[in-house]
Amino acid sequence: MIDASLLVAVVALPLLAALLSLVVAPRFQMPLAVMLQVATFGIALTLIARTLQTGRIQAFSSWLYLDSLSGVVMLVVAVVCVLAAVYSVGYLRHELRERAINPSELRKYFFLFHLFVFAMLLVTISGNLGLLWTSISATTLASAPLVDFYGSHEPLEAAWKFVVLTVAGSLIALLGMLLLYQSGVGPLGTTFDFSIPVLAGAASHLSPTLAATAFLLVLVGFGTKAGLAPMHTWLPDAHSQAPSPVCAMLSGAELNCALLGIFRVYTLTAPAAGATTLRTALLVFGILSMVVAIAFLISQRNFKRLLAYSSVEQMGLIAVGVGVGTPVALIGSLLLVVTHGLTKCLMFFASGNLLLRFRTTTITEIRGVVRAMPWTALLLVAGALAIAGAPPFGVFISEFSIITGAFAGHLWALGAVIAALILLGFIPLVAPFHRMTFSNAATGEAVAGAELSTMSLLPALALLGAVLVIGIWIPTPLNQLLHNAAAVMAR
Amino acid sequence: MALAEAVLSTLILIATFWLLIARQVRAAINGYAAQSILLGGLAIALFAASHLPHLLALGILTIVIKGAVIPAVIKIQVRGTSYRRRETAYYVGFPTALLIGAGLSLIGLVAASRLPFHTDLLSEPVLGLAIAVILVGLFTTMARRDAVLQLAGLLAAENGLLLVGLVVSPGLGLLIEFALFLDVLIGVVVMAFLIARMHETIASTDTSELSRLRG
Repeated sequence: MIDASLLVAVVALPLLAALLSLVVAPRFQMPLAVMLQVATFGIALTLIARTLQTGRIQAFSSWLYLDSLSGVVMLVVAVVCVLAAVYSVGYLRHELRERAINPSELRKYFFLFHLFVFAMLLVTISGNLGLLWTSISATTLASAPLVDFYGSHEPLEAAWKFVVLTVAGSLIALLGMLLLYQSGVGPLGTTFDFSIPVLAGAASHLSPTLAATAFLLVLVGFGTKAGLAPMHTWLPDAHSQAPSPVCAMLSGAELNCALLGIFRVYTLTAPAAGATTLRTALLVFGILSMVVAIAFLISQRNFKRLLAYSSVEQMGLIAVGVGVGTPVALIGSLLLVVTHGLTKCLMFFASGNLLLRFRTTTITEIRGVVRAMPWTALLLVAGALAIAGAPPFGVFISEFSIITGAFAGHLWALGAVIAALILLGFIPLVAPFHRMTFSNAATGEAVAGAELSTMSLLPALALLGAVLVIGIWIPTPLNQLLHNAAAVMAR
Repeated sequence: MALAEAVLSTLILIATFWLLIARQVRAAINGYAAQSILLGGLAIALFAASHLPHLLALGILTIVIKGAVIPAVIKIQVRGTSYRRRETAYYVGFPTALLIGAGLSLIGLVAASRLPFHTDLLSEPVLGLAIAVILVGLFTTMARRDAVLQLAGLLAAENGLLLVGLVVSPGLGLLIEFALFLDVLIGVVVMAFLIARMHETIASTDTSELSRLRG
């Protein structure tokens, strides 16, 4: 009963926030957003804690369902969204002062913001696979108008590409979902409950051909949304044109929702279709994504697009980790879902400050950040090292686990390829931020030294602390959650 | 019954081809409306044969929402600009598009025949036609430069999925189908909003003018 109420509340609150944001005055929008998002965050944490105690919780004949696997994604989504709400306050206040936006636009921003959070949290608690598909598709529909928020030529182009490609991907994934249903008709009869526990119970009796086809279609379909190459082409556009807090949510949270769709169908189809086939497909898309992303990282001149391509690389690596499939690699992949989400969110916050101060996203036009904005400079340099996989940050531990996992499974060549790709991506990702921070500003164009506001720094500093802690010592509850989630994946 | 289902599902594929080679936005939208009404008709015909009540609801909803409401929303959104214009822009020429469309249809039929299906309601060839509709619809989206036609292609593909749904999972349930309808409806609203923004920003719906983002 309590579980059912909590599951409903975690999506009802953001939905309520969306409706309220339509009626309240512009000056109340920000306090309302922070308050309701903090409350949502609290409920999400309670739910995850209950999942840790009982393994999984479900309600309404499994329409709503949360286990450790979806708990991992819920954790990232909840943290990223609450911090994005706080960061939005600092970001939008600055934009209002600069008259880049006007107060009436806050209503549109927060209405879509809350809907976006609603859709992502609904993904994490969907127990019915039809609902899972619907909510993953809904995340696109809520976030596309946010990509277009600034309303000029480039954001519109990015938003259109985003919608057309990810909707096409969603349709392919839906075909996969329908084949998954059909694959269960043999063991379960023509009419059965299309829910995770029901299918998991019959997983080893599903039709092997249909299950394998279903997984491949879902991988291509939701892979489009997760930014896996070669279907990633919309991602650098959308993730660089949106307002920075939204970029953080797109890269840090939304991609993981699409991954959850892939992971879930993987766990349901692997017993019948054979894990080896499915893993091979994941490895192919994963390695290709890493290679393509690194090629574009090297020649990148725009720091927001740089971060977007880094997301493609990391999504590829997560897919590779699942493709390796050993327990250590699976835990590494799931940990990377968390650490990439948090670190990328941090980087979009910090680079958002940069964009607001310098009004450009071109790397070569920015100099001497360390003098102009010392705290942002710290965040950028430490964050770039963290996202590129330097110790002692969380991403390093995740990547290390994936490589170790490959070696543990005697996949020597594969482990070496992964390690080489990670190293190749390191310098192109770190060097630009280093250059912007430490190179001297040309005389006469030094920017007056001032940070934007506390609100624009605190969320990013909190994230830096979190990824540092995870890199040194993974907190016991998180460790437990990851192990349970890996057990779900390996079943 | 078997004859009605075969005729209706073939007509659905023909309507999809109409949409693929339409030279006017208006014709493409009419093609989509026709495809939706045929699909709704098929669902109602299946209800007559099986007496599954949700098929009747699905049929009526499809005819009303996809056959009338969505085409009307799109027509309102594009009125005056590109609606009556002939020769809308495309990436792939019409003869080539027809050939590729035919090839995709073949692929759909072959793929369907190779998958092991249990069906009570509809026969396997219908599944092949449905997959062909999805492929031709998605191809329309890729082959056209006009945003309205890209949207129409996605909607046509979605109708193909509904047809697959009728074949493989009549027991999937009304709630899921409602969710799907809601998703499509919201999708159309969002895309229509972006199309309206294109009118404001580039005074056209030709997406090839949206090509500044590179690298």
